[in-house]
Amino acid sequence: MWEVMFWPIVACVLLPGLLVYLGLHVVQRGIIFIDIAMAQMASLGICLAVLLHLNLEGWTTFAIALGFTLAGAAIFSVTGKRASQIPQEAVIGISYVVAAAAAVLLLSRAAEGDEEIKNMLVGNILLVTPREVWERFTLFTAVGVLHFVLRKNFLLVSFDRDGAYQKGLRVRWWDFLFYVVFGLVVTSFVRIAGVLLVFSYLIVPAVCGINVAQRIANRLLIGWFIALLGGIAGLFLSYWWDLPSGAAIVCTFGALLILISLLALWKHRRGHSVEVQDSQ
Amino acid sequence: MKKTSLIFTAIVACACSAQAKLNVVATLPDSGSLAREIGGDKVNVTVLAKATEDPHFVDARPSFVVSLRNADVLIDGGAELEVGWLPPLLQNARNPKIEVGKPGRIQASEGVRLINVPANVTRAAGDVHALGNPHFTVDPIIAKAIAQHIAQSFSALDPANAAFYQGNYKKFEATINAKLQEWGAAMLSFKGQHVVAYHDSWPYFAHRFGISIDIFLEPKPGIPPSPSHLAEVIAQIKAQHIKAIIVEPFHDRRIAEKVASSTGAKVVEFSQFPGGLPGTDSYVKLIDTLVSRLAAALK
Repeated sequence: MWEVMFWPIVACVLLPGLLVYLGLHVVQRGIIFIDIAMAQMASLGICLAVLLHLNLEGWTTFAIALGFTLAGAAIFSVTGKRASQIPQEAVIGISYVVAAAAAVLLLSRAAEGDEEIKNMLVGNILLVTPREVWERFTLFTAVGVLHFVLRKNFLLVSFDRDGAYQKGLRVRWWDFLFYVVFGLVVTSFVRIAGVLLVFSYLIVPAVCGINVAQRIANRLLIGWFIALLGGIAGLFLSYWWDLPSGAAIVCTFGALLILISLLALWKHRRGHSVEVQDSQ
Repeated sequence: MKKTSLIFTAIVACACSAQAKLNVVATLPDSGSLAREIGGDKVNVTVLAKATEDPHFVDARPSFVVSLRNADVLIDGGAELEVGWLPPLLQNARNPKIEVGKPGRIQASEGVRLINVPANVTRAAGDVHALGNPHFTVDPIIAKAIAQHIAQSFSALDPANAAFYQGNYKKFEATINAKLQEWGAAMLSFKGQHVVAYHDSWPYFAHRFGISIDIFLEPKPGIPPSPSHLAEVIAQIKAQHIKAIIVEPFHDRRIAEKVASSTGAKVVEFSQFPGGLPGTDSYVKLIDTLVSRLAAALK
C-alpha cells in the first residue's frame, strides 16, 4: 500500500495548505468558480500550442499558457469594479464557457486525437511523481512567502474592499497580482490533481472554517485540519475500496462538510437553549 | 520421519507451483481474453480497462498500480491506443520485469502490419496513433498471431508449462480456422458493401470480411461530430444505400440514431472487446456476435 500511496499522500500533505488559504480569499470575494475559469484559460493556451504544433513540454507552450492566465487575471481585475450591476461571478462564468468552447473549436482543427492533451490538462493525484510534487511545493512555498509578506494589503483587498479604497490602495493592481499568482497555483495543481480536486481543496475547507470560526487565523487552522483529514482519509478509502482517488477525496470532503455543518448547527442550538435557560 | 519429509516436500512443491503461476496484466479485455485462452488455470489474468470503457480514456484506480507492480507479464496494445493512461501508471509501478524489451512485456502490435500509418510522423500529421490504427485485435487472423506471441512468451517465462501453453494455442488456432470458414460464409453475400462507423475502430475487421467501413460520424478521430459533417455523412448514406451504422458502448448513440432516422439505416451495437456486448465472454463468441449482428443489419 505505501509503495503505491506514498507520493499521493505526500502531495496531499504538502500542497493543499496554500490552496486552503487562497480559498478563504476566494470565498470571501464570492468568486467561487474563478479557479475553474482560470484553469480553463490556461488549457485554452495549451490547445493553441497543440494547434501550432509546439512541443507540449517546452517553454513556448508554458509561456502561452501563462499568457492566457495573465489575460484571465487582467479580465477579472478590470471587471471586479467597486460597485457594478453585473456580478463578478457572471463574468467568471462567461469566461469559463467561452474558454471551454474555444478549446473545443481549436481542437476540432488540430491534428487527430486528443488523449495526450486531456491527459496533460487534467492530472490524476494517484499518479503524481516525486518531481511533480517538489516542483509544485517550491512554487507554492514562493507564493506562500509572497502572500505572507504582503498579507496586510491582500487581506484588506479581499476582506474589506471599502477600507482598501479609503486607504488609497490601488485595488485593481492588487487584484491583478492576486489573480496572476492564484492562476499559477491553480493551473499547476490541476495538472497533477484534476479540476474536481482543486475546486474542493479551495472551497470545502474554507467553508468549513467559516462555518465554525470568526477569526481568519482560526478559519485557516480549521481549514488546514479539514484538508489534511479529507485528503488522507479519501486516499485511504480509495485504496481500500479501489476507487478513483480524486473523486474519493472530493466525496470525503462532501461528507466532512455535512458533518461539520451538523456540528455547527448543534452547537448553535445548544448555545441558544443555554441562553434561553439563562434568561428564565 | 520419512513420511513427514515427504509431506514437507509435497507442501513445498505445492507452494512452488502456486508461486509459479504467472501474474498476467492485460491493459484491455481483448488481449486479456487471449491470455486466458492460452494460460488457462496456469496464469492469473488481470484486465485493467472495462469492456464498455473507451480504451483511449481509462480512469486509473489504486489497484491498477498494485497489479502492475506485481505483474510478471504485461500485455499492451503497443500501438499507442493506451498512450493517454498507461505511461503514468507504468512510471508509478516501477516494475523492471515489464519494461519494453523485457521478456515480461508483450506488445500485441509486434509483428502486426498496421493499417493507416501516417506518412509523415510530425505533430502536424497527428501526434497520437502515429504508429497506425491500433484497433487490430478484431481481425481473427491477427488475433491468432497475438495468441501465438502470448503462448511463446508464456512458454519462455514458465518453461514447465510450455507444452500446456502451446497446446492451448493449437486449440485456439484450430477453432479460429474453423470459425473463419463460418464467418466468411456469413459475410460472403455482403462483399464490397459500405458501412458507417462512429469511430475508425474497424479497418481490420472490414478488411478481413471484405466490406468497407470507411465513413465515420466523427470528422476526425476523437472530435465530436459537427453538423456539416453529419449532413455529408447522411448524403453519402443515401447515395450509397448504406444499411448499417456501427456504434460502440461508450459512443453517443443518439447521434447515430439521428443519422439512422433520417436515412433508414440501422444502428448496430458493436464492441471491440469480449464482454462489451451481452453473451460475448470469449473472443470467439465476440466475433460470432459481431458477424451475426452485422449480417442481420445488412440483409
